[in-house]
Amino acid sequence: MAPVLSAVGLTKRYGDVTAVSGLSFELEAGSVTGFLGPNGAGKTTTLRMLLGLAEPTDGSALLFGRRFAELERPATRVGAVLDSADLHPGRTGRDHLRVLARVARVPRSRVDEMLALVDLAGAADRRVKGYSLGMRQRLGLAAALLAGPELLVLDEPANGLDPEGMRWLRDFLRAFAAEGRTVFVSSHLLAEVAQTVERVVIVDHGRLVADAPLRELVADSSSLEDVFLELTAEPSR
Amino acid sequence: MSGQLRSELLKLRTTRTTALLLLAAVAITLLGIGVEGLSATLAELAKEERQRLLLGAGSSGAGLFATFAGLVAVTSEFRYGTIRPTLLFEPRRRVVLAAKLVAAVPLGGVFAVVCMALSLGAGLAIVSARGVGLALSDGDLLALAFGAVASTVLGAMLGVAVGALIRNQVGAVLAVVAYSFLVDAVLFAAVPSVGRFLPGKAGDALAGRHVAHLLTPGQGAAVLGAWTIAFVAAAVVRTDRSDI
Repeated sequence: MAPVLSAVGLTKRYGDVTAVSGLSFELEAGSVTGFLGPNGAGKTTTLRMLLGLAEPTDGSALLFGRRFAELERPATRVGAVLDSADLHPGRTGRDHLRVLARVARVPRSRVDEMLALVDLAGAADRRVKGYSLGMRQRLGLAAALLAGPELLVLDEPANGLDPEGMRWLRDFLRAFAAEGRTVFVSSHLLAEVAQTVERVVIVDHGRLVADAPLRELVADSSSLEDVFLELTAEPSR
Repeated sequence: MSGQLRSELLKLRTTRTTALLLLAAVAITLLGIGVEGLSATLAELAKEERQRLLLGAGSSGAGLFATFAGLVAVTSEFRYGTIRPTLLFEPRRRVVLAAKLVAAVPLGGVFAVVCMALSLGAGLAIVSARGVGLALSDGDLLALAFGAVASTVLGAMLGVAVGALIRNQVGAVLAVVAYSFLVDAVLFAAVPSVGRFLPGKAGDALAGRHVAHLLTPGQGAAVLGAWTIAFVAAAVVRTDRSDI
């Protein structure tokens, strides 16, 4: 069976700038994997290539053995939130989900279920411009989950969440993976990541610098933060 | 495809943008009715040309603002980033573009029907109230109505294509405004033999205006249709190629 996600020699160049360089890694089903790297390391560019939003200069990005655009009913395979701001401020939360539900051909009741799941049922008929950052994050997550995907890809999902929201997200992601589904989550919050993920993929300057189970990486009593800073340190220092 | 189309139609109905643009089209129509119908002298109002402008007044506002509505249907996705969820649910970009183009048909249709109902209704009432005879036949009225619907629908589709080409919402709106009020008007005034082939003037011809040098309605339909096809083709190329 094809891996849930695989990047092979994935490369993206913008003119002279190489954002992602020969990146290769795979995800197994049923895991929560953290995608880490300093700002500008190429994380978001990698996610955009995996999700068909940007064309790789070289290499391949496959989900379930196929390019994202070749998946049938892709929302049932992959749910993703790349930016919590990807909402129309003048549309209500419920309408945001209804618009997507029509594409994914899921019943209207599913919209209500997702609103309840992310605790937005009470705010569903308010326009998004009145939502807090945390509410936007949760609405984005509800959209990603709308069609019951097997893989969830989240870019910095914890931004704007309060401690309660953070715990909720962590528990949710673990439960999601416990059902045999897969989570790939980029984050800056290393302490949070250390509590949530089983594996980490670390990139720096567009290159892979680590791809290992968290337990192996921080085997000796060092913290994920120590390991991360060491792996991504500038050579001059 | 049908799921994407239903989604696009719902998008148009779930923000206030479409309603506000329709309101603006109605305001322009009312202004046109006022200018053509109420400020004209009786002698002017008795003329066929003036009655065409009065009864067909709905086509200008409908055409311009339906173009904006089509435009914003695309540019708002880039402005607010909803293009990402849209393409995550339907990564075949041509399907999304096609759905927006098809959704522009009822969109333009609504703008045209509302504005033309106003200008035809008010126009007939004004002509009758001011006691000048109606110089237009039933066939003329029908041609005005269908011409307005056709030109407005093509205008909304052109708007979608322009929005896909110029993704920046402010830039795209300014481009259409500058085009409509500068390029189109100036070129037609200066060199009508060329200016009449521009989309705006082809649309006027299709809408049944009888201004000197304009194409016939049939030619206007062909020319505006050709412009729409050309812009859509360019939009397809841009949509296929660019990173989001």
